[in-house]
Amino acid sequence: MELSKDPKIVIQDFDFYYGNNHAVKKVSFDALGREVTSIIGPSGCGKSTLLRCLNRMNDLIPETKAQGKILIDGQDIYEASVDVVELRKKVGMVFQKPNPFPKTIFDNVAYGLRINGYQEKSEIIRRVEQSLRDSALWEEVKDRLTDNGLSLSGGQQQRLCVARALAIQPEIVLMDEPASALDPIASAKLEELIVRLKEKYTIVIVTHNMQQAARISDKTAFLMQGELVEFGATKDLFTKPTRKITEEYITGRFG
Amino acid sequence: MIHKFREKLIQIFFFLNGLSVILILGGIFFLLLRYTWPAFKEIQMAEFLFGKFWDPTAYVKPAYGILAMLMSTFMVTVGALTIAVPLGIGTAAYLSDVASPKVREIAKPVVEILAGIPSVVIGFLGIVLVGPVIAKLTGTTNGLNAINGAILLSVMSLPTIISLSEDALTNVPKSFQEASLALGGSQWQTLILVKIPAASSGIVAACMLGMGRAIGETMTVLMATGNAPAMPSKLTDPIMTMTSTIAIELGEVPYYTTHFYGLFAIGLVLFIITFIINMVSDIILHRYERQTRY
Amino acid sequence: MKNFLKIIMVFSVLLLGVADSHAQMIQVKGSDTLINLVQKLAEEYMMKNPGKNIAVTGGGSGTGVAALLNNKCDIANASREMSLKEYEQASDRGITPVTIVVALDGLSIIVNPDNSVEELTKDQVAKIFRGEIRNWSEVGGKDMPVNLYGRQSNSGTYEFMKTAVLKGDFSGKMSRMNGNAQIVAAVQADESGIGYVGVGYVKDSTGIKVLNIALKEGGEYASPLDKIKVDTGIYPLSRPLYQFVNGNPQGDVKEFIAFELSPEGQRIVEEEGFFSIPQEYVGLNKKAGL
Repeated sequence: MELSKDPKIVIQDFDFYYGNNHAVKKVSFDALGREVTSIIGPSGCGKSTLLRCLNRMNDLIPETKAQGKILIDGQDIYEASVDVVELRKKVGMVFQKPNPFPKTIFDNVAYGLRINGYQEKSEIIRRVEQSLRDSALWEEVKDRLTDNGLSLSGGQQQRLCVARALAIQPEIVLMDEPASALDPIASAKLEELIVRLKEKYTIVIVTHNMQQAARISDKTAFLMQGELVEFGATKDLFTKPTRKITEEYITGRFG
Repeated sequence: MIHKFREKLIQIFFFLNGLSVILILGGIFFLLLRYTWPAFKEIQMAEFLFGKFWDPTAYVKPAYGILAMLMSTFMVTVGALTIAVPLGIGTAAYLSDVASPKVREIAKPVVEILAGIPSVVIGFLGIVLVGPVIAKLTGTTNGLNAINGAILLSVMSLPTIISLSEDALTNVPKSFQEASLALGGSQWQTLILVKIPAASSGIVAACMLGMGRAIGETMTVLMATGNAPAMPSKLTDPIMTMTSTIAIELGEVPYYTTHFYGLFAIGLVLFIITFIINMVSDIILHRYERQTRY
Repeated sequence: MKNFLKIIMVFSVLLLGVADSHAQMIQVKGSDTLINLVQKLAEEYMMKNPGKNIAVTGGGSGTGVAALLNNKCDIANASREMSLKEYEQASDRGITPVTIVVALDGLSIIVNPDNSVEELTKDQVAKIFRGEIRNWSEVGGKDMPVNLYGRQSNSGTYEFMKTAVLKGDFSGKMSRMNGNAQIVAAVQADESGIGYVGVGYVKDSTGIKVLNIALKEGGEYASPLDKIKVDTGIYPLSRPLYQFVNGNPQGDVKEFIAFELSPEGQRIVEEEGFFSIPQEYVGLNKKAGL
């Protein structure tokens, strides 16, 4: 794991199309290592689309096209020689609606380990515990690891999904509006978690909750209709935005 | 006012419909019981359940044991499931995950058509096609036996298993698939380690329904399994299932004799077995659903 | 409205058709041994007598007798006599069964042409079908297990074999086939198979071998295809083929049976591979008014 704050992700003139729909238009910005970078913007601005390009989840959708570069650790992930499966081990994802598998809590976290070849029981147990600790869920579930993952509350399920993603020790964690399906308390807990996680991981989070972005992220990218409007240190973007539209969005002039 | 009345009328109509189904089922069960009960005045329950031979028209002493029949039904059902379950689930997985939309479009109707083939036709194929092949492959001179029945019944249960398993797999939320892929899982790992386990309740229910179909099938086994009432000892033995026995004997048995009631007793056993299977499959379906409401 | 009228019309025609034929249709049910023969007789009869309708169905002798006792048919074809129980049931229901013999059968024992065995005694036949002789080598054939093919318990031939030949139960390993034709097919396909069928099913069949049967060891081996041997009973498995009617036959039923017993009818019997009524049964038929 890198210790520096070099640009972990470099997005360079990146375009993305769903068929004829030009969803992401020549976007460029960097996400540094061990920082939280948030992507904000109104609905349909392409932020989720962009996020899903970072681990090439959009490959699953037919008739899409990507142009431009996304470099992770200096390598363009859209190059033909890139193994998508390996990419996704390095770049984990937490989804908007918590989606733990219908398995036990333990098996949920262990899943990533098992499909990546970990077989030794003691090793798996150790890593599962570590991941659950890292995602601030261990104390709540340590006595019921054999309960079904779906029996947890919404907030706990989401933290389980975080643990699941962390178990395989990715370097980057992508989060697609992770708190939008949670109640305010669970949401707050998740935000605490994200702030702690950035000590070890690079985090890119999409959110439509601007206060959240202001609270937890170091850098913010503001997208509108597929275009990058403004990118900069969160503090600066929120207190002295350079573009008028940015200011209007931040002050809630439009949704 | 009129609206309320019409509402009430519609309610009553649907209620009666639902009630009638329950009444029919209850009626069948009651009828079976009514005609089974007199059998046990003459036949000992122990002899019925554990006696090996069914020979009510025996030269010396009538025998009313269903053990050989149960064994026959068991052999042919287990044989059919051994073939149809892996093949059915595999096909369902193929259709839901691997096949291109074009292949799906062709395959699904084909499966439906397979389900519609009349059992006499399948029995016929068993005699003229499957039988000789089995005879050649197993080195026996006669292909009308348990294996034949198992193969034919697997063909008949396949559409049920495929269709319902495929539904179960398709209904697994995409979010699970996404989660697995996002963890670096391959398409295969996602299918086998996430999708199929997630759909397991539906798949199990599908297999149990397929099993019910195999147990209750009459015409096919009547034609192609040889109909020998002796206790079968190997798969190449001719067998005689409960359904075949009833079909063969009910036509000419004098009414209201012990033999007559005995046949109803066999029918009752069949009814209870299928009822239990359906109930268990229902419980599995619902229990898993409650546990994993997603 | 037009559609409704059409439906009404179709229904009326159907009803009329049913009503009309029901008045004159003779129902004949029962023996699989007899079914082809009686169907042929019925066809000839209907050709010569337009307007007469005869329906012939199978189901086995037992089914035929049961139908007669339930008043569901006019004539019951049977390849065996009625049992004591059946006579009791008949009297309980006020039915007077009258017996008519329409043909003679030499019940044939058939094996596959590749089977080296040519002849058996009646006792050996019994032992084989009782499951006591299990390998062809025991009767001079190849070393292979015997595969038995027989009928189901509704069959008159099944009963006849049981009471007249086996005097015991059929082996539990015998395959209970649906009818004569299925037994022929099974033996054709099975080198070690043996079955019993009415001689009418042997006549045109290729791919099977008919065995010669002797009453006792050392006695004369006779073929069921030899009319004289069957008539005189030297062929040990001869048996009359019956029709049962409720009371002495009257009207259309009587006319049809009379046709069956006429020289023309008996010629058809012979053409179908069975044998015409021997003298001893003529008296019986006379008692029924024929």
